[in-house]
Amino acid sequence: MTSHQTVFTVAGMRRGFIAAQSFGIGVFLYGLAFGLLAREVNLSIMEAMLMSGVVYSGSAQIAAVSSFGKGQIPGGGAVFAILLTILMLNARYLLYGAALRPWLGQASGWQAYGSLAILGDGNWLLSMKAREAGENDAGYVLGSGLAGFLPWMGGTLVGVWTASLLSNPAALGMDFMLVAFSAAMGVSMLRGKGDFAILLSAAFVAYAADRLFPGPWTIVLAGLAGAVTAFLRYRPESTS
Amino acid sequence: MMVRPEFLPILILMGLVSFFCRAGGFWLMRFVTVTPRLESALKATPLAVMIGIVVPVAARGSLPEIIALIAIVIVMRFANNDLMAAFTGVGVVAVARYLL
Repeated sequence: MTSHQTVFTVAGMRRGFIAAQSFGIGVFLYGLAFGLLAREVNLSIMEAMLMSGVVYSGSAQIAAVSSFGKGQIPGGGAVFAILLTILMLNARYLLYGAALRPWLGQASGWQAYGSLAILGDGNWLLSMKAREAGENDAGYVLGSGLAGFLPWMGGTLVGVWTASLLSNPAALGMDFMLVAFSAAMGVSMLRGKGDFAILLSAAFVAYAADRLFPGPWTIVLAGLAGAVTAFLRYRPESTS
Repeated sequence: MMVRPEFLPILILMGLVSFFCRAGGFWLMRFVTVTPRLESALKATPLAVMIGIVVPVAARGSLPEIIALIAIVIVMRFANNDLMAAFTGVGVVAVARYLL
């Protein structure tokens, strides 16, 4: 590990932005799928764009829009259910943010919370991996975040505009994108015996959680299991 | 460019919940001293989260997804390229779902 002198520069943003181009296409197509769905429940272009910009979560938005029904804006209990769904689907971001504290905590408030406002899965995974490889520039997080956020907005726009370009994203395997990236990056992050213990505990908890109550909590519980394992197994001398 | 007035409160609430999730964990860690031991735990989360994403899909035992995951591991072993491996996986899933 090199020195932990954190900076936040445009050069760092650029590095993150370029490195994150890998998942830009996937995010664009996911945005496209949301845009099409938004059109199906009669959201206007502006409403769909606002939702993508403010919520910025594919799974949460699709779940929310699905409960909108044909052109009906829900009220009362239905809104509460939507908010609860978003909270559950995005609970993993609490963990992501906590993990970024040692790094982003050294940037200014605006830089840190601005980066967090558009945090995405691929964005976070890539940043944590880069940090592990010695990246100290916190601009990397915002740069790779923008590389996901911009195609997301672009995809939404194209989706609500075009009616049925991509009616079934599952047919093109787009729903598999996050799983595919996780598997690929997981393979490249596996090193040493310590990681094997993290893998086993996370896999066991993920499997058990998926069996007992399938849903978004699986990811959070697996993440916590890995963190607890690393915490318990920590040896001061074992830093590489 | 129309936005229905009754859409706005829902939009704002949804945005607040989303931002709370993104910023909340980071904010809470203000009050926690990050010891080397805790930092090793935080560093373990990406790998564990990725496993949490992959394992349920693998455990469901649907053939296209399992073939694709094997293809991803093989590409990573030989080419060690995230992007190439992920897109191979997505391509394999699309073709396998069509054929099987």
